[in-house]
Amino acid sequence: MPEGQYTTNLLRAGLSTRHVPAPCVLVIFGATGDLTHRKLVPALYNLAHEGQLPPSFAIVGFARRPKTNEEFRAELEQGVQEFSRFSPINPAVWKAMAQGIYYHRSEFTDDNGYDSLGKLLEKIDRTHGTAGNRLFYLAAAPTEFTHIIQKLGAHKLVHRGRNQQVSQRIVVEKPFGGSLDTARELNHVLAGVFDEHQIFRIDHYLGKETVQNIMAMRFANEIFEPLWNQKYIDHVQITVAESIGVETRGGYYDGSGALRDMVQNHLMQLLSLVAMEPPASLEAEDIRDEKVKVLRSISPIAPAQVREFTVRGQYARGSIAGKPVVSYREEPKVAPDSRTETFVALKLFLDNWRWAGVPFYLRHGKRLPKQVAEIAIQFKALPAVLFAADQAAPVQPNVLVLRIQPDEGIAIRMNAKVPGNTLTIQPVKMDFRYGGSFGAQSPDAYERLLHDVIVGDATLFTRRDEVECSWSIMDAILEGWSLDGGAPPVAYESGTWGPAEADEFIEKDGRQWRRP
Amino acid sequence: MPDTRQLETFAAGVETAVDVAGIERQLHELWQLAAESEKDPSRRQITRASLFNLVAFCETDSGRDHATETISALTSRHPCRAIVLMAEPNELRTELSASISAHCHLAGGGRKQVCCEQISIHASGKSTNQVGSAVLPLLESDLPTILWWQGNFLESPELFGHLVTVADRVVFHTSQWHKPETHLAALHRVTVEQRRCVFTDLSWTRLGIWRKLTAECFDEPPARAELDQIRSVEIGCGHGPGGMMRATLYAAWLAAQLGWSPAVASSRIHLTPQKGGPDTLTMGIISVELKSPSATFLLRKSLGEWAASATVIMPQMCTLPRKQAFELNDDASLLSQVFDQPGRDPVYERALAMAAALTETEPDPTVSGY
Repeated sequence: MPEGQYTTNLLRAGLSTRHVPAPCVLVIFGATGDLTHRKLVPALYNLAHEGQLPPSFAIVGFARRPKTNEEFRAELEQGVQEFSRFSPINPAVWKAMAQGIYYHRSEFTDDNGYDSLGKLLEKIDRTHGTAGNRLFYLAAAPTEFTHIIQKLGAHKLVHRGRNQQVSQRIVVEKPFGGSLDTARELNHVLAGVFDEHQIFRIDHYLGKETVQNIMAMRFANEIFEPLWNQKYIDHVQITVAESIGVETRGGYYDGSGALRDMVQNHLMQLLSLVAMEPPASLEAEDIRDEKVKVLRSISPIAPAQVREFTVRGQYARGSIAGKPVVSYREEPKVAPDSRTETFVALKLFLDNWRWAGVPFYLRHGKRLPKQVAEIAIQFKALPAVLFAADQAAPVQPNVLVLRIQPDEGIAIRMNAKVPGNTLTIQPVKMDFRYGGSFGAQSPDAYERLLHDVIVGDATLFTRRDEVECSWSIMDAILEGWSLDGGAPPVAYESGTWGPAEADEFIEKDGRQWRRP
Repeated sequence: MPDTRQLETFAAGVETAVDVAGIERQLHELWQLAAESEKDPSRRQITRASLFNLVAFCETDSGRDHATETISALTSRHPCRAIVLMAEPNELRTELSASISAHCHLAGGGRKQVCCEQISIHASGKSTNQVGSAVLPLLESDLPTILWWQGNFLESPELFGHLVTVADRVVFHTSQWHKPETHLAALHRVTVEQRRCVFTDLSWTRLGIWRKLTAECFDEPPARAELDQIRSVEIGCGHGPGGMMRATLYAAWLAAQLGWSPAVASSRIHLTPQKGGPDTLTMGIISVELKSPSATFLLRKSLGEWAASATVIMPQMCTLPRKQAFELNDDASLLSQVFDQPGRDPVYERALAMAAALTETEPDPTVSGY
């Protein structure tokens, strides 16, 4: 082998771990909030524990409250102890990580705060060798995003362009805007400071193992693809149910609602993954291209059509797991006459060759009987011959269920003959459970996503056009609701599967909601 | 036909003696009973799972007990049909007996238990010649078969010959052999002869953290440029057999990946057993120092901490050590890592070929530098 510079690291051959990223500093805006404490830093610790972080990795927490570096580190350590999947944590690993954690106190609008941040980052570059590589994480309230982004630009803390020696990125938590206009505005503000390849819009559902498995199931198996179209599929149901109420988020939620909070992002992502065409490659842009095509093919719901294609509800008093709970309007920081929806059911159609005529029923709500997320592909009914000829005992259509959480896995409902002298057919379930087959503890979604941001892999993040397409669909629905004769959301008892109107909504099509 | 009490005993992991010819029928009846129990919510709910066949070979009672304990720890994460085969060919008495049991674990979110079967077969005397025919019909179809051999299979060529024909993978642990470095050449020959099979040495699996830490030192382009300038490698290791073996494999890996010939590798790489307290007897690699004219790459096990660190010393590079925690290295953890990565490991195969060349007294002309 000739001597000279290696273009690839020969020692990495055969190692299953991913490339360790270049040294960098992660600046978290809103670092004293719940997200940092419960999710971000425990995920970073997990990555460090598995050797997935560079040695020179620093964290700067940017927030308003007064705190020293040591106090901040101690608080974060508590969060790691409680929320890391490695318990007990390894003192050596934490100590090495904590040495790179700093706290920077400032208001988000204070110019002096950004100047001093710049100086701190330069100091960290010198002591830690982070070489100007920066990740800016917007974990603050969405109302602060614009200030922060503009200040980063104004204080020259960001370098843009692909050919730079440094890599600098920004991570934006959901919600990404509250409408098409505000999403476009936020995109515009971002584009003023960052290039698109530097912008990572998080939807943490995409970091879930089972959501990633949707693509694996579809495109790593020969048997599904021939059936994955309108010739064989009757309809698709996507359900994301929560048993919790708004808890302490009433103030934010009352201005948002279920459609903005969950449907615009998580449910639309699930729909895109189920409905997309096979991508040209597993590169980020090829996958995102296919997802955008799905969103573009969704037949828009005109404002005048909202009653035909949507149902919205709001939870009333009831009980969850045997315990009484209050109604949405009685929750803290929720207006007593609030018209915010906590439940949405939608029927969408995709105007493309693969899915023409197949309804996609989406359902999400709070205070439903249990926490569950699943995608159910219901196949068409058999022709009324042979085993299905007996109309008194109809043969159940096949259903393929992708369980996102809990009890992650895949199930297929099929029909089998009941042992005995008669030809009786009964549905049976073929079940694959992640927990039963792969007992490994899956990494937390944020671990995967944070590592991807650090190495610059945008596959699991939403693109500008994806976000705006999704909002254009939601905007029409929101406009329709606001114009809809002043009708408030329909009340449903907490602990039930939503309002009766949601059942009628699907039953008028000759179908029924699944009971997950 | 078994009754519910037998089902409970089975699911609780207690071994029940069965006739070798009736193993499958007995298991089938037990699972049928389990399926019927599903209708009665007051009864234990169990379901069966299996992703592969695991044939665990041993020659002693303690080996059999160790296999059973290991399988019990493994099956929560890697459900399989486990066949524990204890063979005592030198016993005078000819015997072939079997028992069945299950390893059950609670699946998340409910009362249902996921269970894996264990079939234990004991062959002694001349009946050890029939082990192949006893094991073959018990292997589940459409699933890969892993043969885990406790001990040195090179010392039992006949028995090994019976069983390797049904295996897709053979797993062994050279660190537990007597003078393992003296067997490397023979081991390499067997892996070449049994080309259909994948061979996995748990000593190699244990090297994962050292390989990873080493590779990471060279991820950055300036450091990567030093790879072909490495002229000296000093490896400190424990002075027990496991230490030298793992150090030898590590050295061979490095040499093979860097394209060194055995002669070049021998001149550049030095292994130094560290004699110290009782700890150094069981330790593997303790330290590695790779040197080029302008850089030093240091890897060190942190004594007293369950971690290792890697430091790059060269101009313009960050000199902060990177630390990584060690995984557990008991057999269950190591086997789990192996099962997580099906398929051949060409990097190991090259390393083994180099290790064989480095330890043979006469150089093997089939092994050359790239």
